[in-house]
Amino acid sequence: MSVPAIAAGRERRQPAFERYLNILGPLAMIVAIGVVMAVFEPRFFRITNIRIILQDAAIYMVLGMAMTLVITGAGIDLSIGSIAALSAIIMAIFIKDLNVAVYAAMLMALIVGVGCGLVNGLIITLLRVPDLITTLSMDLVFRGLALVLAAGAVLQRFPEPIPAIGRGRILGDTVPIPIVIGLVVLLIGVFIYRYTPLGRYAIAIGGNRESAMLSGINVRRNKVYHYMLMGGAAALAGIMLTGRLNAVQATVAEGFALHTIAAVVVGGTVLFGGRGTMLGTLVGVILLSMVTNALVILRMAFFWQLVASGVIIVASVSFYSYLERRGKGGSE
Amino acid sequence: MRGISKHFGGLQALKDVDLTLQAGELLGIVGDNGAGKSTLIKVLTGVYPPDEGGIVLNGEPVRIPSRRASIDLGIDAVYQNLALVDYLTAPQNVYLGNELKRSVLGIPVLDNSGMRKNAAAILRERLGVALGDIDQMTFNLSGGQRQAVAIARALIQEKVRILILDEPTAALGPEESRRMLEVVQRLKGKEMGIVMISHQLEHVFELADRIMVLRRGRLAGVRSTAHTTRQEILGLIVGSIADYQADAAVAGAGVSVAP
Repeated sequence: MSVPAIAAGRERRQPAFERYLNILGPLAMIVAIGVVMAVFEPRFFRITNIRIILQDAAIYMVLGMAMTLVITGAGIDLSIGSIAALSAIIMAIFIKDLNVAVYAAMLMALIVGVGCGLVNGLIITLLRVPDLITTLSMDLVFRGLALVLAAGAVLQRFPEPIPAIGRGRILGDTVPIPIVIGLVVLLIGVFIYRYTPLGRYAIAIGGNRESAMLSGINVRRNKVYHYMLMGGAAALAGIMLTGRLNAVQATVAEGFALHTIAAVVVGGTVLFGGRGTMLGTLVGVILLSMVTNALVILRMAFFWQLVASGVIIVASVSFYSYLERRGKGGSE
Repeated sequence: MRGISKHFGGLQALKDVDLTLQAGELLGIVGDNGAGKSTLIKVLTGVYPPDEGGIVLNGEPVRIPSRRASIDLGIDAVYQNLALVDYLTAPQNVYLGNELKRSVLGIPVLDNSGMRKNAAAILRERLGVALGDIDQMTFNLSGGQRQAVAIARALIQEKVRILILDEPTAALGPEESRRMLEVVQRLKGKEMGIVMISHQLEHVFELADRIMVLRRGRLAGVRSTAHTTRQEILGLIVGSIADYQADAAVAGAGVSVAP
């Protein structure tokens, strides 16, 4: 059968370095921070400090995995800090005040987290409140509930495995368990992105919502799944944080949302949806944790971390917008 | 489709429109901008529920409440805007919403290599399109290639009984239009009925068995291509021929001679 050949598309391959700019950019910044710290504060490179950085990054990796999916689907979740706090407080109350078995209480925390995400998702899809407004408002609701339930108390000294999840080590006392958890979550994220309809539909929904709908994709249901996964991830991060400090109070995890969004966007996930990358998020969370740690080591006030997160978001978004205007995506 | 009506707020987009389609037939739909062509297609594919009227498929009345339902009934469409996602590859777009899966340790995962292979084969063998790099993002493709990817999406369905093409040549240059018409010609007469919407009367006359004319949301007439002329169809489009479909209501509206 003779077939007419349709003309070949514009042959426009991006140079390899531009395609991986989302990885190379943050990596370059990581090296730059390393050089600066080598000059000003060599203690930065001690194993104990590296471990602290990665342990911190692990919590944000858990959050960042789900946030990558949420943002790819043209959503955003500003309520994750409050979800983490509320889940952890409920878990703590179950263990300390109600003497519930620790595993049941941890399961309860995850259910609370997923439930909070479900509420977010339903408000966004059924009541048609924009993602930003919904999660900004629900952030107040969840935080308020956590404050009410905790009534000012600091709950502490939890039974295993909660401290182990936050700061335990395996393999001859070398590898922190939170880092293992972070890596496992990263692998799950890569799997979701490449091998499940959930990941693919997130790209479609964020990239072209109408096309997704016309392709028979249930956009609302998928959006709800994104927020449920995000809520579950926030609860897990809350458990990890509780374990690391072996204590929890209702005001923890305030900066989770901004820090996580910063890491995801630095990694090359497009803030307006349609494109995302899990490996980029990995590099992003490590970079952000390094910055935070460097500021601490240099004895800057904690609040400078907020300044740093904000500046990094603005700088990344403007940088990627610049690439976009040149007609070349910085990421896949 | 019988007696289909649809309005958006105060705007009556479709009024009492009938549409019949035989297997193996190509029905052309023509009409001016705003005549209701795209709305009719979106009713048929479950995007808009009709206010009135019903749809009968193979003798059975069916409800099409969602796009998903229309796909499951074998009714597929290539929309005017193509409904592609720029930052997915051609195979990912072809299978979007209908992904192939395989089982790994009992977990269903996307069969990316299978989809890539099948999509490439459909594009090459049934549509005569080579993409070069099959894994490039869709925004890199030419207009004709994008059109082919959009059509390939319908062809992967187990059995497409009705294929709707909304302005398949509108975004294409003359050369690519020609090839696209050859593609449609080859799809014709394979048990599936094809509905083709087009502004290009010459394309409709070339391929359609029957031509249906919509005007201001109403059926202006249906003609067999063999027994009509361009003048008659143009007349129905602009409304200068007295219409047997009780069209007095719109009399007095600026009727003019076809350009």
